[in-house]
Amino acid sequence: MIPQRPSRNWPLIIVTASFLLAMTWWSGNGIGFSVVEFLCNISGGGRLLAESWPPDFSYLPRLADPFMETLNIAIIGTVIGGILSVPVAVLAARNLTLGRVIWFTDRNFMNVLRTLPDLFWAMLFATAVGFGPVAGALALSVFTIAVISKLWSESLESIDMGLPEAVRAVGGTWLEMLKFGAIPQAMQHYVSYALYAFELNVRASMVLGLVGAGGIGMILETQRANFEYERVAMIVLVVLVAVLIIEEISEAIRKQLA
Amino acid sequence: MSGSAIQNQNRIGGATWATFIIAALFLWSMWAIGFSPERLGKLPAQMAEVLGFFYPADMAYGWDKVLPSIAESIQIAWIGTIIGAVFSLPLALLGARSLFPKFARVVKLISATTRAFPEILLAIYFVPIVGLGAFAGALAIGISSIGMLTKLGSEVVDSIDFGPVEAVEAAGGSRVMALRFAVLPQVLPEIIAHWLFRFELNIRASAVLGVVGAGGVGGVLLNTLRYRHFDKAAAVLVLTIGIVLVIDMVSGEIRRRIIRG
Repeated sequence: MIPQRPSRNWPLIIVTASFLLAMTWWSGNGIGFSVVEFLCNISGGGRLLAESWPPDFSYLPRLADPFMETLNIAIIGTVIGGILSVPVAVLAARNLTLGRVIWFTDRNFMNVLRTLPDLFWAMLFATAVGFGPVAGALALSVFTIAVISKLWSESLESIDMGLPEAVRAVGGTWLEMLKFGAIPQAMQHYVSYALYAFELNVRASMVLGLVGAGGIGMILETQRANFEYERVAMIVLVVLVAVLIIEEISEAIRKQLA
Repeated sequence: MSGSAIQNQNRIGGATWATFIIAALFLWSMWAIGFSPERLGKLPAQMAEVLGFFYPADMAYGWDKVLPSIAESIQIAWIGTIIGAVFSLPLALLGARSLFPKFARVVKLISATTRAFPEILLAIYFVPIVGLGAFAGALAIGISSIGMLTKLGSEVVDSIDFGPVEAVEAAGGSRVMALRFAVLPQVLPEIIAHWLFRFELNIRASAVLGVVGAGGVGGVLLNTLRYRHFDKAAAVLVLTIGIVLVIDMVSGEIRRRIIRG
């Protein structure tokens, strides 16, 4: 007795497939995608790589200050964003929030924050407070709120509600309920998301300078404009090594916590 | 009982130390970049002033000039996601430790390196190769998508039930047949959900690529802000937020349905 094979939903398959094909055709046309062009220009890529090699190691000492500035921006962004994301996440968690209207407003606020990429925030803050690292730090703060609060509000929604209800039942206030009943249960997730946000922020802070928001990206932009590709390569190398090291450290800490 | 109390105390000690170190790093950073309390105090007034400039948005400019550039960002993100999906699927299978222990290390190294590059750095290299424009952006997004999708895909493959794989092989099937009939059916729903999620991320990534001349809406925003056309910049923001919200909602809904089956 072989069970009958479930029949396929042909209309759905056809509609999906034609949508995917149409999207791809429209996009490929729109951006001028062409394998031929890519293959023809690949020699140019070889020349570029040759120009980038070897990286200009004598340039390394001058990268120290901008590099530290980049880390400073990432740290400030993660701390400010990490603190502010606590209330945003709590009020966006259905089981902990203070009422439907607040929940709805906060949730939409969170989703709108999430729509704009890090460099858009950097451009906006650079316009508001002037070019420099302060704009970058503010941009990453907002970006961090968007990252942590979305993820953490989902962790908060999946906690065991017995403990918070017990705190309420013995007369605890809403804040006491959060402090003793809800947040300790999701604390590990919070730390892990904060580390993840820090990783993203280090990566983002490396390029903030492209729009004038401080850090190592500022000199990257200057060297790129002057076609100093050996120096660009040095900067890229530093960024790459830094990102990989930070990722390793943060993964090690996360494993310790788990 | 006493054992757990001691452990508890140690934990609190660790957390206090961590808080102390983070606070010290934070204050040092604030000092180093010159982010003084006075500056923080002036912030609300500055923000309010700039926000005032943004109103009302120049929507005529929005429909004429911004909408096509957002469409271009979506196109870049779509092609980037397709490149990422096509190349990452075989890599994700090869990168699964439980199936191909020999290849897994190499694949992990490839995906870690491509992930470490911010897209915009890749774009900086692709722009001189294929010229200014959206094609360079799509290649940059595609390459960085391969890295992340490979990593997530390998994790999905490693977490499957290996019963069916053994069953296919026990019945005399080859490795390829095991992949086709035992592995792929188990992993595809989750992998497709990752593709969609990556598409959502790629829209944001492609939106900023215009900053280095790789097409899309980022360049428009940079120029409007540079020339202080705040009403036009406002149109960029309004349309970007609106369109990305809609795409997120649709894609999120599809992801939930795929995962539920």
